[in-house]
Amino acid sequence: MSAEGSRPGIAPDAALSSTATRRPVVRVGSWLSLPYRRRSVVVGGILAVGVLLLALLTLTLGTLGIPLTELPAAIASPKPGRTEFVLNVLRGPRLVTAIGTGAALGVAGALFQTVTRNPLGSPDVIGLGAGASAGAACFGLLLPGILPVPAGALVGALVAMGLVWLGTGRGFSSPGRMILVGIAVSAMAVAFVQYVMTRVNQQEATTLAAYISGTLADRDWGDATEIWVAVIVLVPFALLLGRRLDLVEMGDDVADSLGGRSSLTRTLVVLVAIGLGTAAVAATGPISFVALTAPQVARRLAKAPGAGILLSALFGAVILMAADLLVQQSPFGAQLPVGLLTAMVGGVYLGYLLLREWKKGTI
Amino acid sequence: MAEATTTPRTGLSSRETSARRPRPSAARLAPGLALAAGILALVLLLSVAVGTYYVPLPRVWQALVDPGTSYADTVVQSRIPRTVLGLLAGAALAVSGVIVQGLTRNPLGDPGLLGVNVGAAAAIVTGIAFFGVGTGSERVWLALPGALVAVVAVYALGSSRRGTTPVKLVLAGAVITAILSAYIQAITLTHPNAFNSYRFWVLGSLAGRDAQLIGQTLPYLVAGFALAALLPGSLNALALGDDTATSLGAKVGRTRILGGLAAALLCAGATAAVGPIAFIGLAVPHIVRSFTGGDHRWLLPFSALLGPAMLLLADIVGRVIASPQELEVGVVTAFLGAPVLLWAVRRIRGRE
Repeated sequence: MSAEGSRPGIAPDAALSSTATRRPVVRVGSWLSLPYRRRSVVVGGILAVGVLLLALLTLTLGTLGIPLTELPAAIASPKPGRTEFVLNVLRGPRLVTAIGTGAALGVAGALFQTVTRNPLGSPDVIGLGAGASAGAACFGLLLPGILPVPAGALVGALVAMGLVWLGTGRGFSSPGRMILVGIAVSAMAVAFVQYVMTRVNQQEATTLAAYISGTLADRDWGDATEIWVAVIVLVPFALLLGRRLDLVEMGDDVADSLGGRSSLTRTLVVLVAIGLGTAAVAATGPISFVALTAPQVARRLAKAPGAGILLSALFGAVILMAADLLVQQSPFGAQLPVGLLTAMVGGVYLGYLLLREWKKGTI
Repeated sequence: MAEATTTPRTGLSSRETSARRPRPSAARLAPGLALAAGILALVLLLSVAVGTYYVPLPRVWQALVDPGTSYADTVVQSRIPRTVLGLLAGAALAVSGVIVQGLTRNPLGDPGLLGVNVGAAAAIVTGIAFFGVGTGSERVWLALPGALVAVVAVYALGSSRRGTTPVKLVLAGAVITAILSAYIQAITLTHPNAFNSYRFWVLGSLAGRDAQLIGQTLPYLVAGFALAALLPGSLNALALGDDTATSLGAKVGRTRILGGLAAALLCAGATAAVGPIAFIGLAVPHIVRSFTGGDHRWLLPFSALLGPAMLLLADIVGRVIASPQELEVGVVTAFLGAPVLLWAVRRIRGRE
């Protein structure tokens, strides 16, 4: 059923039969019916082409790029040598990781923004990124050798989420408290990271600082596999929950009376979002603002209500790939972490968004 | 009052926290003020007494009134600058916290919301990276203007033809914070010198700060405290909502500008002197509000007394638990303040 077609208090069937907002539906037998909007499909198609285009650019540009004419042959039967090195070590894993991470962040952001009814929501708001940084600092520098850094980041993120869960006193079913507790947990994690930074030598501190801005440099196929497993397992869950989430968006009372079970839905959605967020953090370190901007822009492009999960995934991938392409091909010698670029662009975007809303007078 | 309940970080209005119980009478609060002053005096004494080398309290008194050249006297003398810094910074942070919470009508407001910390940090890393200045006590002259410029930017971005509202201020603060944080990261990652200085500054600490800092920041703090002293009535009016305040004759726009200026001066001064310290500005007003209610005529003096007490107590904790080393006060306040915030969250049974 469609969120915008049904007014609160009207049974869903009645709402659907009011023909004004009737959508085309894909049906597979009797167990799957997927209403879709033409505009969303077109936007999705364009974004998919964008992903493809950026992938080609990533592989072909620059002094080490593989010429476009050699690319099909190189992918089909990689011959040892320069091309194989670029494809399998230098840029291939990085590219595949970027697509997966971007998609994961996009979906996590979409879920969070819907469930907290807060357009600025993202897993970072409840301290996932900060927790991961603290984990990386702890296992990378303070207690080295126990866990590899990405695993440390994963542990840190999970501990932070556990604290948020305990801190709210109501688990993940209360978005308002979740954000507040997240602020507190973030503050502790950030203080811990800053503390560690002052207790190690400068080189170690710089390495940590680069890692916690989120970077795609030096990824291997292991990272790529990890994030893609998470995406393939969790995104279908997100899609399944998306329909229920549309119900919850209409208000808890309506959702509950229609069988939407708002508390349970909210908890499940947050868990899926956290799963995707932690997977992304383990693959690349905390990359900020992709989770925040991707769903927003996707929603604007599609002009659709609801979470827009697939579009957010595609747009997240596009943002991260474009940012990474810029970082890789930047004229400045030193490669900056990609998270820096996304943070900078994200901040400017947020400012633009606010100015626009203020002109319209909606805030 | 619609806008008071839509502040993005909380969705709670300050009135919900204070309006439930009847307002405590002045007869009960005035002795409380004396008690708070007593607590502060005790903490001040403890701050010069406690550390890796413990000086008994009677001995502290003797060292203060009639300092000799003995070891205990020297230790006490060496702890005076950090105690004075803690006193000033704690009072400044707590008072600016009260003002920001009043201005934004957000009980979880914090001077950091207005971009003070990132502004100061951005100026410092810029100075070190590009101009080779900004180490030691020079840092104040970067941190202060940096913080003030950031606050002005937040106000400029947060104002439109329709005027400034609390929500706009908070969001504008988030934008400026995001952009400046990314800038700070970029600079620190590419300029090792800036990073090296920054990583020690950003962990707010009272230890090893130059005694000169007291004199350098004092004018700004005094100006800030003086402005703050003019504000309680206007802030009380502002708490009723812009429309009611205006109809009662309060000058809402002027209060916002003056309040922003006072908060910026105080927080910028404190941050320039000791580095960013989390949660004093947030937690102290909150704790105070739990027994004074929302009246700023009581909130401000209580916060000014209990803010430094809390900061110095955290500093003492940092000296004791990691002895013979020290844990920076910024770390301690974060780890003590976060549970206080959680407690506050549990206490507020506002709308979700």
